Amino acid sequence: MKRWPAIVLLGIAALLLCACARHAGESSTTVRTLDRADAVRSNWDAATPPESGWTPVALPDTWTRRWAAHDGVVWYRLQWFQADDAVPVGLLLDYVCLADAVYLNGSLIHRDPQLVEPLTRSWIKPQFFLLDRPLLRRGQNELLVRVSGLAAYQPGFGRVRVGDPAEVRARYETHVRWQYDSELFSGASGIVLGGIFGMFWLFRRKDAVYGWYALSAWLFAAYGSNYVTRSPWPFASTDGWQAFVAVLYVAAAFSFAVFLLRYCEKRWPWTERVLGLLCAVFFVYALLWPASAGPHRAVMILMGGGLYYVAIVAFIVRAVRVRRMDQRILAACLLIPLLTSSHDFLVFFGIANDSAYLLALTSPLTMIGLGSVLAHRFYVAMRRVEHFNVELHQEVEQATRRLSETLAREHQLAIANTRASERLNLVRDVHDGFGGSLLGTIVALENSPATSETTAIVGRLKELRDDLRLIIDTTAQERDTDLAGLLASLRHRWSHRFEVAGVESRWQLAGAERLHLGAARSLDLLRFLQEALTNVLKHAQASNVSVVVRRDCDDLIVEVIDDGVGFDSRVSGEGLGLASLQARADRLAARFDLRACPGEGTAISLTASVFATTGATEDRSLLVDRTTGA
Amino acid sequence: MDAATGLGLTLVVDDDASMRRRLVNLVEAIGGSGTTCVAGSVADAQGKAQTTPSLRTALVDLGLPDGHGIELIAWLGDFHPHVTCVVISAWGDERSVLGALRAGAVGYLLKERDDDELRLALLSMARGGAPIDPFVARGILALLPKLNDTPVSKTTPTSGSEHGGISRRETEILGLVAQGHSNRDIAGMTGLSRLTIESYTKSIYRKLAVGSRTAAVFEARARGILD
Repeated sequence: MKRWPAIVLLGIAALLLCACARHAGESSTTVRTLDRADAVRSNWDAATPPESGWTPVALPDTWTRRWAAHDGVVWYRLQWFQADDAVPVGLLLDYVCLADAVYLNGSLIHRDPQLVEPLTRSWIKPQFFLLDRPLLRRGQNELLVRVSGLAAYQPGFGRVRVGDPAEVRARYETHVRWQYDSELFSGASGIVLGGIFGMFWLFRRKDAVYGWYALSAWLFAAYGSNYVTRSPWPFASTDGWQAFVAVLYVAAAFSFAVFLLRYCEKRWPWTERVLGLLCAVFFVYALLWPASAGPHRAVMILMGGGLYYVAIVAFIVRAVRVRRMDQRILAACLLIPLLTSSHDFLVFFGIANDSAYLLALTSPLTMIGLGSVLAHRFYVAMRRVEHFNVELHQEVEQATRRLSETLAREHQLAIANTRASERLNLVRDVHDGFGGSLLGTIVALENSPATSETTAIVGRLKELRDDLRLIIDTTAQERDTDLAGLLASLRHRWSHRFEVAGVESRWQLAGAERLHLGAARSLDLLRFLQEALTNVLKHAQASNVSVVVRRDCDDLIVEVIDDGVGFDSRVSGEGLGLASLQARADRLAARFDLRACPGEGTAISLTASVFATTGATEDRSLLVDRTTGA
Repeated sequence: MDAATGLGLTLVVDDDASMRRRLVNLVEAIGGSGTTCVAGSVADAQGKAQTTPSLRTALVDLGLPDGHGIELIAWLGDFHPHVTCVVISAWGDERSVLGALRAGAVGYLLKERDDDELRLALLSMARGGAPIDPFVARGILALLPKLNDTPVSKTTPTSGSEHGGISRRETEILGLVAQGHSNRDIAGMTGLSRLTIESYTKSIYRKLAVGSRTAAVFEARARGILD
């Protein structure tokens, strides 16, 4: 960003240098400036000047000051004294508007292609002639210039210089460079820059700012052809050409104003629409009624100029207020045409006495400034895109990671579901076949004459049935059944059994809600409890039993206390299922306590962690291995 | 069945002879000999129902050779509404129990239970009550929001009722059963007699069947329980 002011300053310095150079060779002794002439008007087709009616005029002359509405021909007659005819002389006509024929001492030395409409536009360039004998005479020489012009377009004749051919030619070339070449260069650079940004816009329609810039650059370049085109082609008249060029100027101003608006990221739909419509109306007017539009082009030029001024001044004010670097640089770039164009306006309307327009000199500079600002804008956008790309890349990576995690999790879940449903199928097969036969056998045995043997077998079969019940409960339940839900069935079943057996049972369940131990550990816990209860029913001869399942922080505590006959825990233990209780406790990695005394009942308790300990996973086979190994 | 006079004449519908004999023994132990008749299929049962106007109770197995017990229960509900239907459920067939209750059964017997327990259940029924287990209570509680949506419940706004005509008290009892409390516990906790609790259960079953009988059969068919 720091380079910008330097570039602008360099440009201005170069401009000043050029301006100085331009004014350098003004005074000279070997070149005479002829600024006095006689003028007379005639009609379009006069081949020779009228005899009478000659008026002395000062050059440069604009004949509308004298003959306000004269469209046609004015003859200018100049004379100078040539002391020596041995060397050729250079002749320079600064400015002829519009078309001319030049006679030296009665002989034709130059004639424009079109001396009647459509008139050749000779004013765009000065004219240089090398004069030599025999046309050039020693002594008095007469130069006759026949100028065809139109009152509406500042018809007239500039100064004439005579002298050393080399110096006059040099002067001519300087004129051409500053007046004609600079316009050509300005137009060309406008077209190129407009083309570049037009391409930007073409590939990226969203950035209308580039499109409007390109349009304004092209329109302005088209308008600039006014200063470099010799023929009004394709128009049939000077009116047609001038009207059209004026409209191009208005259109360029309009698109430039819109460009500035877009640059500020603003949109004024109504103003833009009205101005656009005005441009369209002007186009139609210029194309359909050139004879009226041409002479009134000043209105359009004023309007276009006004639009340029208003837009640029408003933008500069805004840039000063907004404090954005890029806008300020753009404002600085716009200050140059603002100043130079005021000079040009004075020239255009004949107020300032100069034949060269400065805007063309500075406009390449302005355009390069504008182009740089736009390019910088593009660069900023690109940088943002690159940043965005980096962020996007990161986000995509993150999303991919998350997705693969989710997929892995879902895969795990699917495996777990499949496993569960397989287990469910297995259990269903077991209870459909095996369970049914088991029940049938129990019924058959109960219906047969009771012996001690069958009673024992029936008891054993019923234990198997109860165990099968537990397996079904823990496996076939919905996956999200908590321990409380599993205990509810057991509790209900055993409450009834104790009731039938005349044992008072008291249950206390706390903290088992929303507790999930997993199918395997739940089954072990329920088996432990069921076996303890079976023991009470079979051996204790108790009248009261208390069952407690409670959660204490990370521990799950199960207690079964009865007031039955008890036993001596030091002596017997075999045959009471205590070994099996101990085995179940081991599988749960739980602490198993037994308190028993003959005649004082039995109390057993189990303290297990609610979390599966290391190695104690859902995988039942692992658990079985652990137990058998232990 | 008369609340005071036990099960009355009872039809035992089961295709398994030993199970049939077991149930006949249990029923006759309560009501006396000659209070049972048996059937081995849906058609057989329908015939017995037509020819035995004094029939009061039907114990219906679900897996019958020529049809499903739920259809028989629904049929009995339509043509012999005075017959009390009790479903006999095999292993792990809880879903069917709920379906049968919705089809009109007001009680169930689980084959896996001991004779003593079945006798207790039959006695409870003879007293006018109905046994209930936690899984059944959970199933009904899960059904309540759905029942609330049936048009029947909307057009019969009973005072104090919340879900499908099931009262707040009944919902409370269902909740306690679902937690595993026995009827005796619940009686202690609510201050009601056991008999009252059991008749609450029966009332719940009856309300469950109202308006949902056809839906239950349809649903059972859709879920592949029937056929």
